[in-house]
Amino acid sequence: MSGATKERQSWGTRLRMSWKRLATVQGAITAVGMLGCGALVLYPVLFLLLESFNTGDPIAFPPERLGFANYADLALDLQIVGHTVFVAVLATVMAVSFGFLLAWTLSRTDVPGRRLLERMIELPYYMTPLVGALAWSVLAGPKNGFFNQLWRLAGGQGDILNANTAFGIAWVMAFFEGTVAFMIISPAMKSMDPALEESSRILGRSKLNTMLGITLPLVAPAVMGSAVFVFAEMLGSFAAALVLGLPARYYVITTAIFESTFSYPPEYARAAAMGFALFGVMFIMFSFYRRIASRGVHTTITGTAFRPRAMAMRRWRWVLVAGCWFYVFLAVILPMGALLLTSFQRFATVMVRESVFTLANYRTALQLGPIRTALMNSVFLGVSVATVGVLVMTLLVWIIYRSNVPGRAPIEYLIMFPQAVPRMVFGLAMLWAWLNIPLPIYGTLWLLALAYFTVLLPLGVRTLAVVVLQIDRSLEECARMCGASWMHQLRTVTMPLLRPGIIAAWLLIFMASVREVGASIFLMGPNSKVIGPSIISSWMSSGTELTRPWPSSRPSPCSSRWRSSSAA
Amino acid sequence: MQTRLWAWASALVLATTVAVAGTAWAGAAGDLCANPQKVHGFSTCADIAAAEKEGSLVVYSPDVEQGTAKTLEAFRALFPKIATNYVRLQTGALYAKLQAERQARTYVTDVLNLSDIGLVFDFEKRNGYQRYVSPEMVAYKAEYKSKPEGLWTWGSINLGGIVYNPKVVPPDQAPKTWEDLLDPKWAGGVSVKTTNSGLQHFVWYMLNKELGPDYWQKFTKQKPHAFDSYVQQFDLLVNGQDKVAEAAQYSGYLEFKGRGAPLEFVIPARGLPGGPEAWGIVTNAPHPNAARLFLDWFLSPVGQKPFLAALYMHSPRTDVPPPGGGQPISAFKVLLPTDWNDFLASRTAFNRTWDAMTGRR
Repeated sequence: MSGATKERQSWGTRLRMSWKRLATVQGAITAVGMLGCGALVLYPVLFLLLESFNTGDPIAFPPERLGFANYADLALDLQIVGHTVFVAVLATVMAVSFGFLLAWTLSRTDVPGRRLLERMIELPYYMTPLVGALAWSVLAGPKNGFFNQLWRLAGGQGDILNANTAFGIAWVMAFFEGTVAFMIISPAMKSMDPALEESSRILGRSKLNTMLGITLPLVAPAVMGSAVFVFAEMLGSFAAALVLGLPARYYVITTAIFESTFSYPPEYARAAAMGFALFGVMFIMFSFYRRIASRGVHTTITGTAFRPRAMAMRRWRWVLVAGCWFYVFLAVILPMGALLLTSFQRFATVMVRESVFTLANYRTALQLGPIRTALMNSVFLGVSVATVGVLVMTLLVWIIYRSNVPGRAPIEYLIMFPQAVPRMVFGLAMLWAWLNIPLPIYGTLWLLALAYFTVLLPLGVRTLAVVVLQIDRSLEECARMCGASWMHQLRTVTMPLLRPGIIAAWLLIFMASVREVGASIFLMGPNSKVIGPSIISSWMSSGTELTRPWPSSRPSPCSSRWRSSSAA
Repeated sequence: MQTRLWAWASALVLATTVAVAGTAWAGAAGDLCANPQKVHGFSTCADIAAAEKEGSLVVYSPDVEQGTAKTLEAFRALFPKIATNYVRLQTGALYAKLQAERQARTYVTDVLNLSDIGLVFDFEKRNGYQRYVSPEMVAYKAEYKSKPEGLWTWGSINLGGIVYNPKVVPPDQAPKTWEDLLDPKWAGGVSVKTTNSGLQHFVWYMLNKELGPDYWQKFTKQKPHAFDSYVQQFDLLVNGQDKVAEAAQYSGYLEFKGRGAPLEFVIPARGLPGGPEAWGIVTNAPHPNAARLFLDWFLSPVGQKPFLAALYMHSPRTDVPPPGGGQPISAFKVLLPTDWNDFLASRTAFNRTWDAMTGRR
């Protein structure tokens, strides 16, 4: 038999095997998963791509004229691009510095109360940048920001702080993203062999030199990974730039997209071109991050066994612990206190000398029907999307990481795709896509549920993947050997083992749904109001003081399972 | 036989003529139903039972959130079987959203309120308004209504002036005229609203006419920042971050003043540019009967009172008092466009100038 015939046979055999695998329940679910994810993820993006070439009537669909003019016009927005990059770099430097120092302090030193501090440092993530921005506009707004008033009461001149600057936006985002950086760097620090640091200390290096010369290079891949991740996230951030940038005429790409689409005549094509350019950069950054993460995560783990030992900091431990608590104070306690105080004021500014307290904002917020409806809708969506989402995502995760059916890899890529698309851009894409198909779900909670499910796919799948990979295959194989069908094995073995991960994923998806702004802002209709965009709408047309009585942060389950999955 | 044929033909022609004439007459005057009924103190031609059966009403309006919510709740208090809902965006954004929905044949809006008459005319040209002559429209001047009557009607009048905080700017140093705002001392401390605001378009257009186009060129040097609503403008005045607000809404000033804000309103001698808010029912409205009932209520004094109490605007009706704490509209010299087509055509130029002025482009 010739080589070519053998090859043909082997191809034929492979094809037959693939078909056999496809023609099973798993195969059918894989096919449905691929089609479903493909439709949900790619269909809106294709609409957006087409719109970005629209040079005719901005409202007409399909476009009457196509061309590259919108991309060429990006050259006119160079200042906005410059602002975006500047804020992103500034916030990334601050966030990664915060994250590294906190991770080092809590993972490599013997500061007291580390476990509690770890939980507290996660809190800014649940507060969301929108809440942080509203709070810091009250605390450090020019002229009558709380700090500036205190400064002048103490005899100072002018302003000591100004939140309405690039630095202000970066500062707010750095607390939010600093927690993300902490979560990425911390596991790498914990899994690092302390022998290297100990050797450095024995050879006479100071603690600071050891941290900079030994620890930092060892966790460099995690630090780099967090920097790339945070930078990409910053490029797509919206709420802080809106609240703090607008009063100072400081526009970034996301706020420019918002302004372009929420005006008449709408500049959908310009927004789509901007969104696609941003998507391109974010896609490259996330690909880069994936490469770093996959290469660098093991460099701190050696083959020899070691016992993690904390560095004795002696009297410096109190300085370090004070630094950690100061971070918590700045990132959580101070902003929440400012919001609480403002919620009882007549105006959005807390006038130190002439404060008049009122419950009117709470009365208004609770009396107005649409506000109550928005709250209920958000909770309902959070519960529904988390419940259905976790079930579907668990199935997808199992198919991707445990099954051997063909098409697993494309599903994974499809699922991770929305991570590289800024939420706001994805929201615009979904608006166009769902407005233009004859399925009457625009303006309903269904569309928001679909949008949340799609944009939260990467988060849910990542969280669940870590747990799936931790379960030894032999347990499932044992069930199969005993004659259990695949579905029976899923129900009786896999699912019970996955329970802690499923609960963590459910909580994460619930919280992410409740706080969602970027996509909801385009898709919210009169009968489908939700909290995030309603807070922005209140901020725009009802005053900041009325935004305060809204639930301003999410509950904090903060499971260690999630931390490890985020880091992974 | 021939005579009989002629008689039949003549009768047919006569009948046709009468029918056509009758239809034409009905079209001209017809617009109003024969027997409007009186409910809760207002007249309506709407089928109330059908409206209640529809059970829902969606209003698109640029007015501030809590004002719109309060207005709709006042309506719902009278008709509890009709659930009310709204979308609040500034006029330009609202119109863009509405157009995108309609382009895709998605109809969720029943009643539309726009504060830019240019956009109102544009929507009328696109056959966006459903004609309904409310019995309450007799109380409105002809120039406050569409031609033909029943497409849209002015529901309120907004005035734009200058507002400042006397704790930041002493009254003797405050601007007195529109030209005073060109003084370099206000640079970086002036705010306006974005191009989405209908009132800003009126102010830009009327001051262009009154003071010439170079007024805005000079004003650009003041580097004004733009906000979505007067609420943000006045918040920054209250907290001392800004010195003055140009094209500042009189209604917003009254609302803030009512809450004890340290703000003063300046009425320049040249007058105050004014702009109406036009209300109408949208074609393909999913709840047409509820929309008619709402429009009747809204245009009557029964509806105008809670609306103006919540939003402090002036009513086009003469039998409705001015907003709380405010002067009657007759006390102001109101600057309104005389050529609406010219006003409509100026939208693009306004957008370009205003965006460049406020740093958006």
